[in-house]
Amino acid sequence: MDRVVFESVDKKFRHRPALFNWLGKERGGETIALKNVAFSVGPAEVLVLLGPNGSGKTTTLKLISTMLLPDGGSVRVGGFDTQHDAGKVRRQVGIAVAAERSFFPRLSARENLEFFAALDEVPRRERAQRINDVLRDCGLDEQADTLVMKFSSGMYQRLGIARALVKRPSVLLLDEPTRSLDAATTAHFWATIRALAARQTTILLATHNFAEAAAVGDRLLLLHRGEMLANRSLGEGESAEALRSFYFRTTGEIDERVL
Amino acid sequence: MTTDKLRAILRRDLLTAVRHRSGFVMTFVGVFTELAAFYFLSRAIGPSFRPGGVEYFPFLLVGTGVFTFFVMSAQAFLSAVQEAQQTGTLEVLMTTSTEPAELVILSSISAFAGNLVNLVIYLAAGVAVFRASIHANFLSCAVVLILSLAIALALGIIAATLQVAFQKGAALLGLLSSGIWFLSGAMFPVESLPRPLELLARAVPLTYAIEGMRSALLEGRSVMAMASTFAALAGFAVVMLPLALAALSLSLRRARQNGTLSFY
Repeated sequence: MDRVVFESVDKKFRHRPALFNWLGKERGGETIALKNVAFSVGPAEVLVLLGPNGSGKTTTLKLISTMLLPDGGSVRVGGFDTQHDAGKVRRQVGIAVAAERSFFPRLSARENLEFFAALDEVPRRERAQRINDVLRDCGLDEQADTLVMKFSSGMYQRLGIARALVKRPSVLLLDEPTRSLDAATTAHFWATIRALAARQTTILLATHNFAEAAAVGDRLLLLHRGEMLANRSLGEGESAEALRSFYFRTTGEIDERVL
Repeated sequence: MTTDKLRAILRRDLLTAVRHRSGFVMTFVGVFTELAAFYFLSRAIGPSFRPGGVEYFPFLLVGTGVFTFFVMSAQAFLSAVQEAQQTGTLEVLMTTSTEPAELVILSSISAFAGNLVNLVIYLAAGVAVFRASIHANFLSCAVVLILSLAIALALGIIAATLQVAFQKGAALLGLLSSGIWFLSGAMFPVESLPRPLELLARAVPLTYAIEGMRSALLEGRSVMAMASTFAALAGFAVVMLPLALAALSLSLRRARQNGTLSFY
């Protein structure tokens, strides 16, 4: 059974101009974030979301996490609808968002994880061990007791991934997870992703990085201006270069590297 | 499980408060400065002014203490919501396994617990340092406090609702607190207001909380003797709490629909 199912999902954001708009020039209207998007992802599968900025990748992840609700169609996770059974969906989903500083600055990394683990109902007797494990897996064991207000961007990003992992979600959502990571940490993280998938975790990963898509993905979803342009398997050994040409060919964007 | 979550939230807020060392110290300096101002104000007015038959300084002590407890609790809770919006923590909190309404209630309990400690310190300092005379009935005090807490909780949730819905919780709280300060009888008895304003003051729940705490703490009135005050406080709590929770639930759903959860 598929673990994440999108059925004809539409999402738009309405912009209301400010009350005294003659003072400025705020634009009214609406932005179509997703248009009739349908796909499904199964257990142990890594789905890579590719697309330019504003294509709908983050919106897709937020719809699965219940941060957003769809305007049309339905999103189901583990058989539960995100609109009507949001609580049951949230128990299954872990998300590492692109907003790096979504932590309590005057708590240490470990204290932040303890806080979120309690809200995620991680059993108390398992909490300390799980937190130690994810801190080690994300390369933060030496900074575990440092206040996060002293963290660099990359450390925040690692902590975001650790927070998503500590609840051991069956569906893991990652929004540009390696954007601020160094090469060694990125390579280690890709191995972690494959290991999680081998343990039946469903993973959706939004990225602009073709090497990352080729390294960890089983399948590719290509979004462009809210529409799904492609949903296909990634071939065994498909290179980052091949993915790059597919991306530019399909989206019609100009690859300045070949000009 | 809920107690475990409450413990986690209390611990987070305590650690954050303690690590804001300057803020922690300034709170205590502020308490003593305010008390000194009220003490000398009551001395300047003289001992002949005895509103409700009690000395003016203890009258002020309880009125301003309970008023500050209400407003600062709602303010602390609102600040927590605003900060969570600005850092993006609110969106992440809304994806945890904890239901949003439960999370909001637990967070507000934590905000009120901190300010309850401040209230106790404020009253204790007034008695110990400035010799305010009290004749407390502690059971009546406890009942007033519990019912007042339920109303304060509703007030905090309404402020959070407005913050999530219109990003204007602070403005509304400022407007409300100045109006309530004038009407609630924190500084003077509401009976001295013109009749229409006195009737308006009787529609403000804080008026009953302040009067109730004065009766319980300064006059030592029993639970039976305060039945009408308790009924009024309970009535406000029973109406305000479910309405506040329903409004919060609606505003969170609307924010998830419109994608404005992290707008501020």
